[in-house]
Amino acid sequence: MPLSSRIASLRRNLFTQPRVERELDDELRAYLDQLAAEKRATGMDSAEAMRAARIELGGLEQVKEEVRQVRTGRMLEEFLRDLRYGVRALRKNGAFTAAAVLALALGIGANTAMFSVAYGILFRPLPYADAGRVAVVTMRFFPRDFAFGTLCIRDYLLWKQNNRAFEAPSLFTNRRMDIGGAGGVPEQVQGASVTAGFFSTLGVRPLVGRAFRAGEDKPATGALAVLSESLWRRRFGASAAVVGQSILVNGAPSTVIGVMPGAFRFPRRDTEAWTNLVLNPPTRYGPWFYRGVARLKPGVTLAQAQAETNRIGLLMMRQNPYYKRLTLPVLSLRDALLGPALKPAILVLAGAVGLVLLIAVVNVANLMLARATAREREMALRLSLGAGRPRLVRQLLTESVLLAVMGGAAGLVLAWGAIALVRAWNPGNLPFIDSVRLDGGALVFMLLVSTLTGILFGLVPALESARADLNATLKEGGRGSAASQARGRTRAVLVVSEIAISLTLLVGAGLLLRSFANLERVTGGFFAPPQRILTLLISPGNRKYNEDRAGLPFYDEVLRRARNVPGVEMAAVTDALPPDRQGDADTFAIEGQNLAPGEPNPIISDVTVGPDFFRALGIPLLKGRYFTEHDSRDSAPVAIVSEGFARRFMPNREALGKRIKQSGPGYGDKWMEIVGVVGNVKYLGLTVDTDPAYYLPFAQSYGPMMFLAIRTSADAAGLSATLRREIQSIDPGVTLAQTGTMEQALTLSVSEPRFDTMLLGLFAAIALLLAAVGIYGLIAGWVAQRTHEIGVRMALGAARADVVRMVIGQGAQLAAIGIVLGLGGAFALTRLLKTMLFGIGVTDAATFLAAASGLLLVVLVATLIPALRATRVSPVVALRYE
Amino acid sequence: MPNTNLLQGTLDLLILKALALTGLHGLGISRRIAQITNGTFQVKPGSLFPALHRMEEAGWLSSSWGDSENNRRARFYRLTAAGRRQLQTETRQWETIALAMASALEAS
Repeated sequence: MPLSSRIASLRRNLFTQPRVERELDDELRAYLDQLAAEKRATGMDSAEAMRAARIELGGLEQVKEEVRQVRTGRMLEEFLRDLRYGVRALRKNGAFTAAAVLALALGIGANTAMFSVAYGILFRPLPYADAGRVAVVTMRFFPRDFAFGTLCIRDYLLWKQNNRAFEAPSLFTNRRMDIGGAGGVPEQVQGASVTAGFFSTLGVRPLVGRAFRAGEDKPATGALAVLSESLWRRRFGASAAVVGQSILVNGAPSTVIGVMPGAFRFPRRDTEAWTNLVLNPPTRYGPWFYRGVARLKPGVTLAQAQAETNRIGLLMMRQNPYYKRLTLPVLSLRDALLGPALKPAILVLAGAVGLVLLIAVVNVANLMLARATAREREMALRLSLGAGRPRLVRQLLTESVLLAVMGGAAGLVLAWGAIALVRAWNPGNLPFIDSVRLDGGALVFMLLVSTLTGILFGLVPALESARADLNATLKEGGRGSAASQARGRTRAVLVVSEIAISLTLLVGAGLLLRSFANLERVTGGFFAPPQRILTLLISPGNRKYNEDRAGLPFYDEVLRRARNVPGVEMAAVTDALPPDRQGDADTFAIEGQNLAPGEPNPIISDVTVGPDFFRALGIPLLKGRYFTEHDSRDSAPVAIVSEGFARRFMPNREALGKRIKQSGPGYGDKWMEIVGVVGNVKYLGLTVDTDPAYYLPFAQSYGPMMFLAIRTSADAAGLSATLRREIQSIDPGVTLAQTGTMEQALTLSVSEPRFDTMLLGLFAAIALLLAAVGIYGLIAGWVAQRTHEIGVRMALGAARADVVRMVIGQGAQLAAIGIVLGLGGAFALTRLLKTMLFGIGVTDAATFLAAASGLLLVVLVATLIPALRATRVSPVVALRYE
Repeated sequence: MPNTNLLQGTLDLLILKALALTGLHGLGISRRIAQITNGTFQVKPGSLFPALHRMEEAGWLSSSWGDSENNRRARFYRLTAAGRRQLQTETRQWETIALAMASALEAS
């Protein structure tokens, strides 16, 4: 059968249908004409001939229909007709269509967006070869008690020696780096020092040049540097000639050997340079600066590797009694990059958005049921007029799919917009955000779920009612048939579940909201207005400033110039900043304190600050004095402790005048007299409860890389350019980084919880909206069905208030059941939020109460509208109704 | 006229055969079929036209407007090359079936 002829016919039938129809009509009329002429020739008169011809033809329209049935594209044409009919039907029921499409769009859009984000962050494969086999080895022990903590080179060597589970172990540490020499003005970037096998362990190949070769971490290897693609483009104009060039890294000449592709970002998201870490044979334990990274051997799971690493941990503790309660947490590469808090938060949000989808689906089911009830009569009528059941099914199916496609399209737009917004704005400062893109799989899944719901709840009841007694249905007009009563009960159940689910989400959102409010209320321990504090990180660049003899005068000059900038009130140096830029931490000893043998004090923050630091940030002095200019290099060693420090380590004793010293390995016997007690400041994040710290004067504890904290008389943000110019004019090698106000730092530090709170709040709001639409639809339908009854009641003298009470009572009853169930659900589910909450319990009664009453209010308002409409029913009209 | 419902598939073959010599319009085809079957088959318009349109869409027939013997406008159908091939194929098939049926009915 010639296909080309078929295609030509299809095109003709579909696109020039009027002409095809006209031709058919012409042809049949001509036939009729001929037939009549033939009859006339046998002697009939003209009218009789025409009548006989018509009879022989057997009905013009019937013949046409027979011809249409065999035309190519007949199915398609019927489908298009169904589609047109569906569009017309949906347009006629504007409110229904809008509600259903909105529910679908919100459900599909929110879910597609959230799952795309979750997939991008949690599951999309990292751009390294077989990244799933790479693990990061961290160390946690008392007294250095930090999650995902670091190990020292001795520990690394012991692990490397005894390790059986991993291959290609390497070591790395993060550090700030000044990049100078070739390529323009020096700049400060985030860098990492890594052992020779680092890049091959991670399975990443350089874009240009080479990675480190085996043995390039041995002593006496020259200083080498690998650049990130971003740094290479920014600073070296993406020139391949940079390989082999000498640049300055922290003032020391280093040879560039290669460039890493932009997708490779490890150990930190902002790492832009890697230098070779030279492993000198360690003479002592510490410093604990390093983490290990290695590839699991084939067939070894992460859990097995962890078990084996635990065994090595025991060995470490046996060899060094200083380590207490030591563990070596082994993290997947992704978990190491994500940090501890993000993954559970995203999973909770994904669960929450799943509930939103559930509500959307319930809503669509609800609407479809309502529509099925309303169409009972139509279906019965069409069946009785001889429409085939398959034809009706096809038509209803077309309508359901049409609805789903419209909802899906709107949802797609919504999801696309939401993802673009999240990516552009990155409200939670989330890692991997640039690997988030619209996930087709998620979209298709959502579309499928909602379409099936539409079909299930639209088609099945419609057919059921059609199958039922046609006569009864036609007579009753769908008012009180058994099927529609059952459907009413189903709808009530659906609405109750909507209320319950949205209450659960509301409680969750409420808890996060209150937790976030707590977080915003908590102070970092400093009381100067945060928008008037400007901070930046200075690296002097030139290596001569590594010594305090040159470094102290350098910083004196920095401070002098900073104070001369108009608008600057105070300037001070520090090596740590609230709320979360921790500096050093170490153990300490208190003179005369009796500790069990081998039991040191815990490691806590030791902060090096210049004289004006406390005043600039507004950290209150509780006792004694602040540091002054007189606490110099050569004067008696002094220290200041925080209130928390004094309370914890010197309870019931006067802290002032006591002497402490740093007790970590490598410190001498430099006892420092405590000259002041200051308020607690948070250096480990706002959510960390107590953070005892002791302070050392800059002149007695010099380090070359320092933060500058500046208190200004007005908004601080405008001063940074002037400050930068002033400071960099001291020495061309000076670099500045991380310039920003304290206000920005505070905002950034709570960006993840803000993101979580906003999203869950949004989900809860969507859920509430959908639930409100659901209950409104139910009650409105209920009122419409009872117009007759209400009319009778009012005719018999019922007051409007009675009618309102009756209708609202109906809604309140459902709301009450839904709220009880929802509170139960919230009680069971909010414990998942536990790690995300700050300063509030997972079963906070006030939140539960507020969410429940808020929901009740919304439900009552949604019920009130149809209730008021019911009172406007005129008894006369109502009794005549139908 | 005896009850002679056209066998499924027979109509196509009759139409092809009727058009084998010359192009005809609808009524002509109907009359020609009656003639060559000695009046056994009277094709009704309700069967004829769907078949003509189906066969035209299949590419076996082509059609055009023309003038009938008594100078009336009519739609004329004629065989295409594909139609002639189809006529041969269907003729062969029919002969096979007819032979088989005849021998089946003659068997004792």
